[in-house]
Amino acid sequence: MIDITAIAERLDEAARTASATPQLEEPISLEEAYAVQAASLERRYARGEKRIGIKMGLTSRAKMTQMGVEEVIWGRLTDAMLVEDGDTIDFPAYVHPRVEPEIAFLLDRPLTGRVTPMQALEAVAAIAPALEIIDSRYENFKFSLTDVIADNSSSSNFVVGPWSDPHRDFSNLGLILRLSGVVKQIGSSAAILGDPIRSLVAAARLTSEAGEPLQAGDIVLAGGATAAEALSPGQHVQVAIQNLGSANFRTSEHFEERD
Amino acid sequence: MASSQVNARAIARGDIEEQAALIRAAYECGAPIAPLRNALSAATIEDAYAVQAVNTAFWEEEGRKIVGAKIGLTAKAVQAQFDVDQPDFGHLFADMAVNEGDTVAAGRLLQPKVEAEVAFVMERTPDAGRLTTAELIDSVAYALPAIEIVDSRIADWDISIVDTVADNASSGLFVLGTKPKALADIDLQLCGMVLEKNGEPVSFGAGAACLGNPLHALGWLAAKMAEVGRPVQKGDVILSGALGPIVAAEAGDHIEVRIEGLGSVRVNFGCNE
Repeated sequence: MIDITAIAERLDEAARTASATPQLEEPISLEEAYAVQAASLERRYARGEKRIGIKMGLTSRAKMTQMGVEEVIWGRLTDAMLVEDGDTIDFPAYVHPRVEPEIAFLLDRPLTGRVTPMQALEAVAAIAPALEIIDSRYENFKFSLTDVIADNSSSSNFVVGPWSDPHRDFSNLGLILRLSGVVKQIGSSAAILGDPIRSLVAAARLTSEAGEPLQAGDIVLAGGATAAEALSPGQHVQVAIQNLGSANFRTSEHFEERD
Repeated sequence: MASSQVNARAIARGDIEEQAALIRAAYECGAPIAPLRNALSAATIEDAYAVQAVNTAFWEEEGRKIVGAKIGLTAKAVQAQFDVDQPDFGHLFADMAVNEGDTVAAGRLLQPKVEAEVAFVMERTPDAGRLTTAELIDSVAYALPAIEIVDSRIADWDISIVDTVADNASSGLFVLGTKPKALADIDLQLCGMVLEKNGEPVSFGAGAACLGNPLHALGWLAAKMAEVGRPVQKGDVILSGALGPIVAAEAGDHIEVRIEGLGSVRVNFGCNE
């Protein structure tokens, strides 16, 4: 018998205290993994956090192949996870953070069930360059598919840059991820399922199946457009995306002693 | 620094001529050859360019016309793989041009691969004495999206820097898009690139993957061509180097490249029947 509550508490505590936890010992089903995720988010809501959107994961063919799956995954985003563009994150608050360049959608109407790409686009008020700070709570950033789903798909924090009109083709926007001015990743938004709108289509379907459909005002992170880069203290992190501008944050200098 | 990076010639003229003839034989027989570095273990990059120059002269004597140049090794990761800190170049001949949308006949190439690139078409020779970014922009007439179909006369692409430079920088064929764009209308650094093979997106990138900006690659080439006494000419087609990872092409494949803001270009690979 899988103890959903106990696993959720373990993962939530690992996230809250920035301490790595072993992978789940016993195999769990996809449904159980999402149940653990939902239960761990309930603990965040109980602490006063509000759900403000979702993130999509495994949205590149390369990552699906790597994990041996044919389906994208998702996780919940809360207001406490949002870092203002240009802010500094506290490095010791993470286990082993990495960053990925992404595109964010802002919805201005609900998006439920099976929708076409055109219907999905109609629900989009704006798009923006975004950075997702992912931080698996598992030791050595190693996990199975169900492990990572239970761990809220490794989501940790995210930064959203300036919002732009979504009615200009965003299916193949070039992007550059720089760490302290050094180019680390170069790619295109086309790496997100061939076109980021497909990620929003999948988001609408998966969240509806989970009984938690996308709402007006939700932010949807479409998924990583390149491989993730490991973060270090004292860095300036920037993504620049063609036509969309940039999103930025800093990581704090080394490990100040905290009382 | 590796011996192959020393800027001097180390190989006897006769050996240069012999290796050049082996490469030409690979073209003529349609059979790849063993890596040149086996026979030319002391060869420098300069020796490799000497081999390339022997064949360039041979082909020009045959009547083939040079229409431009290709820049290779423009990705940091690829330079690291080849243990070099600079790009390389090869010549483009008129008979290497494939019309956009056409099919490359099966057997025309030995082991083709495709890359998405920016093609610069030159308005004039850039002034090699003042190769600023401004001078480069001013010397370009327009840009086109391009597919470079690279090929190697060396078996299994088992190449070192010496092998690829000697082998005309592993050039094969090239395909140009047909809608010219002014540089002012393109974001050369951030232009997104997707290469689709049979409808499946398989290679992604952006202009920055080519030496930080394809214009930087053009600047390197303009200086290099002036140095070797073959300055870039009005009307020359300059292939920038790849905007993303290279992809192998098999018989029957159709390839489409889209570069955001620059346009798209396609080519097919014929089947053996």
